[in-house]
Amino acid sequence: MISVFLLQWQRLRRAPILVLSFLGLTILFVSVLAGFGGPNSQFTIYTYGDPTLEEENRDKWLDRLNEEGNLTFHWVEESEAVEAVTSRSAGMALKLMNDDYQILIAVQDPSSVMIENYVYQVFSEELRLQEVASHVNADEFYSNLDKVMSDPTMKVTTESLSGEESSYAFDERLHFLFGMTLFFSIYTMMYSLMNVAEEKRVGTWDRLIVSPLYKWQVYTGHLLYSFLIGMIQIVVAFLFFQVVFGFDLGERYGTLLLVIGCFAFAIVSLGMLVMGLVKRSQQMQAVIPILATAMAMLGGAYWPIEVVSNEIMLALSKGMPIYYGLDALKGAAIYNMGMPELLQPISIMLLFGVVCMGIGINLMERRA
Amino acid sequence: MLETEELKKVFKGKPAVDGVNLYMDEGESVGLLGPNGAGKSTTISMISSLIKPTSGDVKLKGQSVLKDPGIIRNVLGVVPQEIALYEELTAYENLKFFGRIYGLKGKELDLKIQEVLEIVGLRDRQKDIVKTYSGGMQRRINMAAAMLHEPELLIMDEPTVGIDPQSRTHILDTVRHLNQEKGLTVLYTSHYMEEVERLCDRVYIMDHGQVIASGTKDELKSILSGEETILIDLDRPYPALVTDLQSHEGIRQALETTKGLKLIVPKGSKLLGSIFQIAERHQAQILNVNVQVPTLEDVFLHLTGRKLRD
Ligand SMILES: Nc1ncnc2c1ncn2[C@@H]1O[C@H](COP(=O)(O)OP(=O)(O)O)[C@@H](O)[C@H]1O
Ligand SMILES: [Mg+2]
Repeated sequence: MISVFLLQWQRLRRAPILVLSFLGLTILFVSVLAGFGGPNSQFTIYTYGDPTLEEENRDKWLDRLNEEGNLTFHWVEESEAVEAVTSRSAGMALKLMNDDYQILIAVQDPSSVMIENYVYQVFSEELRLQEVASHVNADEFYSNLDKVMSDPTMKVTTESLSGEESSYAFDERLHFLFGMTLFFSIYTMMYSLMNVAEEKRVGTWDRLIVSPLYKWQVYTGHLLYSFLIGMIQIVVAFLFFQVVFGFDLGERYGTLLLVIGCFAFAIVSLGMLVMGLVKRSQQMQAVIPILATAMAMLGGAYWPIEVVSNEIMLALSKGMPIYYGLDALKGAAIYNMGMPELLQPISIMLLFGVVCMGIGINLMERRA
Repeated sequence: MLETEELKKVFKGKPAVDGVNLYMDEGESVGLLGPNGAGKSTTISMISSLIKPTSGDVKLKGQSVLKDPGIIRNVLGVVPQEIALYEELTAYENLKFFGRIYGLKGKELDLKIQEVLEIVGLRDRQKDIVKTYSGGMQRRINMAAAMLHEPELLIMDEPTVGIDPQSRTHILDTVRHLNQEKGLTVLYTSHYMEEVERLCDRVYIMDHGQVIASGTKDELKSILSGEETILIDLDRPYPALVTDLQSHEGIRQALETTKGLKLIVPKGSKLLGSIFQIAERHQAQILNVNVQVPTLEDVFLHLTGRKLRD
């Protein structure tokens, strides 16, 4: 088993292009989709006012909205904002009122969903605070609040508060990172697993079978390799964006690793199932891109599943391991969830893997 | 050492191997001769426990291989019909891997690798990537990979198909050397009768999944003891002449060859006169006539009315 496992690495060393290119594509796509600038990546939102808006309120809202570093709410004349949105040079514009807002939108895309959420949160929070303030002395309340916010002993609260706010802006970049990384890792794992089909075609498989090795050892060697190379690709991509672009993956590294492992297991098993179903390795070659793309699309790797409203699509997404992978990764990285909270997506991925593996090996052995 | 009992394999209702009985004694060199599709490879796959027979059994030293495939795996070396190597790796890396799966390691494995490379004559090219080898050299490595674990029984499935004469001679010499000097038991499969005739003590002739004749080379040829072979060279092909000769009652088999004709006739039948007459009728120009002792090829021709290779 170890020999078979090590052999795959030796073969990879001689022909690393495929795997490296999938890692390269991951980095390319995430960079483009999540915006090049890394932490400086900016969304500028044209902001204008209702005629009734008071100057004091205008400044207050702009200050509050601009607290999130990655979003710039830029004050313009109404005509300019409307012009920008209708000509589609801006995706959206925000209209401020004294204690309400309206959003002018050209195209509904993932980033507009995030921004809408963010604006909604700022307003509802501020209005809630105002509500409380109206029952007490307003000046005193706000100065107390400021003190609380800047008080070092209350640092934890402050951090968690700002962490929650920034999650909206970071959410999108992490979404692309998670989505694209898992998507391209499907290719790597399945193509690596094709070594099995390839060995059967060339005849080296027969050599292994007539040797004293047990068949399960041969399979395990291959599966372990595909699994590990998938995990490594995902981890390298995550580390790259964390170190180079400063993506915030939270602190639950163990949980992240566990989720990645479960996802890789599910995909490798799915690969076995596919191999059991197709007859030749060329067919497998054709099936992999279709399968990977379909799963990524339906499972929400391209756009967040939150923007999908079609019932059928939503139902289908629940059948995709990538959906649970994304769900669990976001849970761990953004919402700081641990094992107990993520038990559901994790166990679904594991179950998926066990079922596919069982059927796949059975089909393959029946044909032999 | 090894025997098969009524070995049978059916693929989708069609029998590929149909009740084959063969045996091999220790140190013997046995040939399995037959045209493409005769069922040779399928027989070998069943012997090496790669595929399960539809019925019948394989016995190694009296024990059923079907019941316990493990018993044959360390004893057996199989050289597959196709080149089953990792072509992006070097010959050395390939051999290292195939040695490891037989439990060899370290110095012992290294020594063994150098030894088999020496045998197949490719020591100086061992660090080269297999893909860059000629077909003949790949076949030699293909063979080396089956000998690392010092098998008692080496089964070779058409190891000389499609290679240069030099590599072919090398492989044949190697097999003979292993069999005669080292006492290795060899089962050699081929559709080239010259190879089998040169290498093997005993021969099984297969056709359509069945053994149609078996015995030592002399025993097989004695099937034709009452017959002789006449080779006639002609200036060009005459298909109609062949048909005419075939229907001549004294002639057992008539066949076109590259140079002219091959006839199998009863010994001492004094047919040459009428053969010349028939040739005259077709205005065929006879360049040469040769009366020969039969070969294994002729045995196959006699038994089936066909050539081994078409
Ligand atoms: N896996 C298989 N499935 C179906 N038919 C097969 C299979 N393997 C071999 N055959 C058929 O069995 C017959 C014998 O094949 P084979 O043993 O390869 O012959 P040989 O090695 O003598 O050329 C052929 O007719 C071939 O088409
Ligand atoms: Mg064959």
